[in-house]
Amino acid sequence: MNRPRSQQIVYWSLVILTLLTLSAPTFVVLGASFTSGNIIQFPPDGFSLKWYAAIIGEQNLRDAFGRSLIVATICVLVSLPTGTLAGIALSKFRIRGANAIQIYLLLPFTIPLIGSGIGLMLAFGDAGILGNLWPIGIATAVINLPFMIWAVSSSAVGLDPDLELAAQSCGAGPVQTFFSVTLPAVAPGVITGSLLMFILSLNEFLVSLLLVDARIVTLPVQIYNSIRSIITPDLAAVSVVFIVVAMLAIAALDKLVGLEIFLKSK
Amino acid sequence: MNTHSIPAVSASNVEMQFPGLLAVKDANFELDNGRFLTILGPSGSGKTTLLRMIAGFLKPTRGEIFIKGKEVSAVAPNKRSVGMVFQKLALFPHMTAAQNVAFPLKMRRFDAKKIPARVSEFLNLVRLDGLEDRRMNELSGGQQQRVAIARALVFEPDLLLLDEPLAALDRKLREEMQLEFRRIQKELGVTTINVTHDQREALVVSDQIIVMDHGEIQQDASPTQMYRTPHNPFVANFIGVTNLFVGQLAAVSGEAVDVTIGALTLSGILRSSPETAVLGAQVRCAVRAEQIRISAALDALGELDAAFQGTVKDVIFEGERLLYELSIPELGDDPVRIFHHDQNDFATHDVGETVHIGWMNRDMHIFVAP
Repeated sequence: MNRPRSQQIVYWSLVILTLLTLSAPTFVVLGASFTSGNIIQFPPDGFSLKWYAAIIGEQNLRDAFGRSLIVATICVLVSLPTGTLAGIALSKFRIRGANAIQIYLLLPFTIPLIGSGIGLMLAFGDAGILGNLWPIGIATAVINLPFMIWAVSSSAVGLDPDLELAAQSCGAGPVQTFFSVTLPAVAPGVITGSLLMFILSLNEFLVSLLLVDARIVTLPVQIYNSIRSIITPDLAAVSVVFIVVAMLAIAALDKLVGLEIFLKSK
Repeated sequence: MNTHSIPAVSASNVEMQFPGLLAVKDANFELDNGRFLTILGPSGSGKTTLLRMIAGFLKPTRGEIFIKGKEVSAVAPNKRSVGMVFQKLALFPHMTAAQNVAFPLKMRRFDAKKIPARVSEFLNLVRLDGLEDRRMNELSGGQQQRVAIARALVFEPDLLLLDEPLAALDRKLREEMQLEFRRIQKELGVTTINVTHDQREALVVSDQIIVMDHGEIQQDASPTQMYRTPHNPFVANFIGVTNLFVGQLAAVSGEAVDVTIGALTLSGILRSSPETAVLGAQVRCAVRAEQIRISAALDALGELDAAFQGTVKDVIFEGERLLYELSIPELGDDPVRIFHHDQNDFATHDVGETVHIGWMNRDMHIFVAP
């Protein structure tokens, strides 16, 4: 590409500006977490790992993090089979009222989270299951399910319908066809969706806030509780832990799905 | 050749009615063991629908299909002994070449100890030895074709179906693969049904050809019969390049008939059933482009039954032959198309030149218009 110099300068300035804006919060929080002072601030006051040591030492945070991991795992366990089957069905069959189903599945997005949160709280309260961790996992699965379905259907749309017929003509029955041909073909979508669901569930704050009680706070709620008292640099350190978990998930995604796409023919 | 009393495949009054579309009408045919049948037709002629009914992916709305004498309407595709090569091949992208070929053996519960030997035997057959561990995206188009053939044949099916797998290939590779299909089919003696819109492919590979149009079987014959004695103008036009003239039936004596085209009276062979040959009936007269002789001098044409003079409108060079388009007002407004491939005398005629053409009566096929 051979563009005039002035044009190149404008393009590059825009690119750099965008990159800075997008990554600034991450850098600020990363810097603040390494401060050796006692106030959360950027640029940090000296360098130390004492706030990381502090969060490791803090039982509440560790427990909350553990609970968040459990919630996120339950969320994936619930959304993986349902979202995968729904995603394949919606793209493969011309279902009567498919549009209505799509809209219905979008509902959790159109209702403000506070609304769904209160609804779930009432429902779970009636069922007498509040105070457990697993309903929070189910709640985050319900709210974020469209992400799972979209991820799977985008893989399933590209699925050659002849692949399943080919499996049948090779002698595979319906169940064998699903597990040996259909599922591997949509695997990239399933992996992407699952990791997305894991991160979304791990980070879910508002709905968790309404469904937890003091004994089972999740990490985002724990952080929120801390902000309400004194804001100390350990919060920055916790945020960095969040960022690291998300980056690990993305790295895993790149490794697994990138590999899968690489293996796909054409 | 092995002649069994029970045909390998037969169809009886098979019909496929889709909502708003009758895709296959009253199809009847028989295919003997070990033979290679091509279903030939333009897109939308119902040929793929017929193939998919034989594979079991579609259930006929009427009629019966028999494989080895057994009616198969109620038999699921995975319970039929039918191998299929798909148009877009439908190879499993997450498997290697060897895994693709082993898949039908696993699904059909072959003795696991014998699978590796069988897989390499069939990869050898399609000349893919050494590429067992390649993924599908690491193979060329021709190599993928070979994996698909091996996968369809490895379990030794009663019947092999080919759903236009060669359509997407370039011409050279396509012709190579046509001969390859023919070689493998002969080597294994597997009964084969091939679907294509390529009339050349049909003539090259088949023992038997079925021409379809608008969901109906137009003709069921051997390649030579199909070429020499087409049953109707559609077949005459679809196989080879054919000139069609409209005329009227003037005289009938058995197969030999006279027709009038404008002010001319010409003779030809009746290809429609004799009872339709009513004097004065409208007919279409077909003469193949390669059966018309062309020369600058009338004497050079040799003995001919019908001869005309015309003007060259266009000359198209096709490599091994030339295609002339001539204007002959006596025969109507459409240009008359003629192939010329006299290797010794490749003297070409120029556009605007007046030339002599002619043909023999036996090469003019007469069809009574329905």
